[in-house]
Amino acid sequence: MLIDSILLVDDESLFHLVFEDACNLLDITLQLMTVTSTDEAEKLCQKWLNNDMKKPDCVFVDLNIIGSSVDGIELVRRINVNYGNGVVIGIISSSTDKKEISKATAAGAQFWIVKSDDIEPRLMKFKEDYEGYKNKTIPFKVYS
Amino acid sequence: MILNEETKQSLLDLARNKGVYLEGNILKVIVPDDPQFSRYLEEARTRDASMRRKRLEITRQVQTQNLDLHEAHKKLEQALLEAENAKSAVEQDLSILQKKTQFRLMHRIVNLSLAVVASVGFISTAVYIFALSRNVDVEHIGTTWASLTGILLTNSFSILGTIMGVKYASERADKD
Repeated sequence: MLIDSILLVDDESLFHLVFEDACNLLDITLQLMTVTSTDEAEKLCQKWLNNDMKKPDCVFVDLNIIGSSVDGIELVRRINVNYGNGVVIGIISSSTDKKEISKATAAGAQFWIVKSDDIEPRLMKFKEDYEGYKNKTIPFKVYS
Repeated sequence: MILNEETKQSLLDLARNKGVYLEGNILKVIVPDDPQFSRYLEEARTRDASMRRKRLEITRQVQTQNLDLHEAHKKLEQALLEAENAKSAVEQDLSILQKKTQFRLMHRIVNLSLAVVASVGFISTAVYIFALSRNVDVEHIGTTWASLTGILLTNSFSILGTIMGVKYASERADKD
């Protein structure tokens, strides 16, 4: 299933390119929006609330975003509580810290993708599970 | 999305004459409705995927190099810090060594000066005592002995004063 639009929140611009190319090669999404801080992401969320912009179908958030006022988990929580409602949201990070993973789950993250050189197979598995996340029929999953 | 005949023909001509193909996500939404345009889309998708694969590879290389560069920068900063610490340690050692040398020199000068003062004092006193014990005229020797003793005492205090002054100056320089 092709996801209409994805928002990626990650401070590493080079990863934006990797993610974009991987998504394109795997036919994951038609539209990819990228921002480099949680503050920028929150501005976008405000636009969703005001109906100035279409809400993305899925949001990928990095765990530690340098130069942001809050971390990825807090952004996940805010999107879920204040803006989300229906958006598939999860963490994409190189960390595999169990404490952080459980914090992300508590904040409402639906998945955790471990960022590495070989990200395509994980994104492919995520793509297969996406429908389940959208319908809230599958539980939290870590792709590592 | 289905394109009209004119657009399809323009795209086919562009590909044939200039080798320029559509690329990006638009290829995912165009639906081919004839075999020729289907082949065109297939070719465009292959080219797009190949280009993206190349870009992905290069981006990954840049990412790795970036990481290496970051590591190297961290190591360099660490080495600089260590060098700075080593430099200040050497400077401190050098300063201590200089002070030690100065104190040794001072010690030698003071010892020599005091030895000269003591020797002169001892010899003149011995000559004076010898003269007194022999009942010879000691008028000149007595006067000379008195003035010599005065001079020697003055010189001794002068040496002590100089030592105290140097010590005070060194301590103050350390504090500053």
